[in-house]
Amino acid sequence: MSLSVNCPNCGAEVVFRSAALPARVCDYCHSLLSRSDTGVMVVGKSSPLPFDVSPVQIGMRGRIEDQPFEVIGRVRWAWTDGAWNEWLLLFGDGSHGWLGDAMGQFMLMRERPFSQVQTRTLKDIGKGKEAVPGAEITLDARKLTIVDARDVLCIAAEGELPFTPTPGWRVYSVDLRGPKGECASLQRDTLATSFYQGHYVTLAELAPTGLRAFEGWTLPAYAA
Amino acid sequence: MPPETELQLPAAPAVKALACPACGGSVALRAAGYSVSVVCQYCSSILDVTDPQVKLITEYRQAAEALEIQLGSRGTLRGIEWEAIGYLQRSAADGGAWDEYLLFNPYHGYRWLITDGRGWSLGEQLTVSPSYSDYETMMLGDRAYTRFYEDSSARVNYVLGEFYWRVAVGEEVVGADWVRPGSMLSREKNAHEVSWTRSILLDHKEMAEAFGVQKGASWPPMPHQPSPNAAWLGTGFKIFAGMFLLLTVLILAFGGTSWVTAGRFPIAPDGTERTVTLGPIHLGHLYQRVEIRADVPRLENGWVDLDYTLVDRKTQQVYEAYGAAERYSGSDSDGPWTEGSRRSSISVASVPAGDYDLVVDYKGNRWNSSTTWDYARGMSVEDPGWLNQDNQPEVVVEVRGGALFASSFFIALLLLGLPLLIGLIRHIQFDKARQAESDFAPTGFAALTQSSEDDEE
Repeated sequence: MSLSVNCPNCGAEVVFRSAALPARVCDYCHSLLSRSDTGVMVVGKSSPLPFDVSPVQIGMRGRIEDQPFEVIGRVRWAWTDGAWNEWLLLFGDGSHGWLGDAMGQFMLMRERPFSQVQTRTLKDIGKGKEAVPGAEITLDARKLTIVDARDVLCIAAEGELPFTPTPGWRVYSVDLRGPKGECASLQRDTLATSFYQGHYVTLAELAPTGLRAFEGWTLPAYAA
Repeated sequence: MPPETELQLPAAPAVKALACPACGGSVALRAAGYSVSVVCQYCSSILDVTDPQVKLITEYRQAAEALEIQLGSRGTLRGIEWEAIGYLQRSAADGGAWDEYLLFNPYHGYRWLITDGRGWSLGEQLTVSPSYSDYETMMLGDRAYTRFYEDSSARVNYVLGEFYWRVAVGEEVVGADWVRPGSMLSREKNAHEVSWTRSILLDHKEMAEAFGVQKGASWPPMPHQPSPNAAWLGTGFKIFAGMFLLLTVLILAFGGTSWVTAGRFPIAPDGTERTVTLGPIHLGHLYQRVEIRADVPRLENGWVDLDYTLVDRKTQQVYEAYGAAERYSGSDSDGPWTEGSRRSSISVASVPAGDYDLVVDYKGNRWNSSTTWDYARGMSVEDPGWLNQDNQPEVVVEVRGGALFASSFFIALLLLGLPLLIGLIRHIQFDKARQAESDFAPTGFAALTQSSEDDEE
């Protein structure tokens, strides 16, 4: 259920659209807010997002796999050699997914309970083992290759989110890729392991409206 | 805030300015948020831009090289506008060097412009992985690529601009390439990652319009350059096959006219020459071959000489030809034998149209009689020869005109086939030159003409 309250820190109006997304960053004071049965409270403070030229922004809408969606949140992650965005998509049926936005490529992924993942290698990684880039694993009879494994850091966030994106939150992140554009990501911190699975998409395939405009750049024909 | 105002937010700036920590120069960041390193265009120092606090990674104090494509300049390729934001000069262990420009568009991500001084290719990093279909062939979707360069190390010699990874001079990756006409598939490996790029060859006019670059060298051909002759050769062979069929049908249908029995003439048994004149014979085509054949039905152990003269009634132009029929037979210990033929066929080429008389001078010759041993009957047989009334010899002369020469058929085929042959030779030359740089044995037509010297190399 949608809930509209005033930010306990600055008083600006903040909206929680879904009980499944209990975390929110105040658009004005960047306070990290958490919604619970007892109300909304401030649990920390997010950093302002650094300037980037991502074409995605909060409020962008689109359609993929026969479902309309809206971009309602973002977490920015960094590793030693770069940073990327994970955009939160709220789908028409109330479910949510993530649009990874790194190096000019987009990955559409949904969370999958890690308990469903039967692959030995992945379960071992969940338990604390190191992943070996280049190793091939089989997940649901599909071959995936571990392409990347490194510690990543949450540096900033905005909008509504399923978890509280505390800046400085450290996660061990393992990326996997399949031969037909499949992708998956395992995220492990000291408390839990989560697993995301999906495939590469192009911006055009998302049929986006409300793309971010940039000075001197023409919006693509499909989004104009 | 009412949503209407939100929709009218002004466009965000696309470029972020940084101060180079080494020289203080103002460096433009064109893919903020994606870029990891930037090379200062003033002092060539490599900067880390992952943090708001720009860090100096490698300090250089050298002026940036002048590039063929100015960083920051834009061009439209295949309908999408791109900005050149980074430049790498790389070289392979064997010394071959090439340039790579990194292109960016916030809505379309990154592309590469690659050139080795001959032509330009537009590369896109793939999100799917090609797979081997056999030892030599890599499949990307339903398109086959043939191996061209084997795994070898490529080094970065010079960098300028910005990149989405931590770039460094001296950085090495292991690359291998597969080609098909017009495109190349490249695999790059380092300790952490394998990435695939597909590059399509751009037309030099397209590149000149987009980025104002000069036309490069056109020889030797690039690994993925389509043969200029291959495109029409296929069509050419189809046309050739069609024409071949058509010509064959034409020759069978219209090539010959029927024989006209021009006359039946008795041969003087005493061997004196006789002359007959036949005509008129009408020849309708501009030029034609005239065939004359003679048959001496009862010729036995003798010969007939035939001198033909075709005379144009109008111009008195003369065409001469000579024919002979001779036949011998007998019996010996091996049984009966015959030699020669009772028929004679000759032809006169390229006779112009007109009405002609055919003058035939002929004479026959044979022994008046002969005695042969008939083994079957076990007795000698007296053959009275032409002196016998029943054996009164005669010659039948037949004429036909307008027949196409088989040779003109072959000339037509040659004329049709010659451009094809030249095209094929040029295609083979092109393909040999194209594959000369390959690390693998030639394939296709180039393999057919491979010499033993190439084998030894």
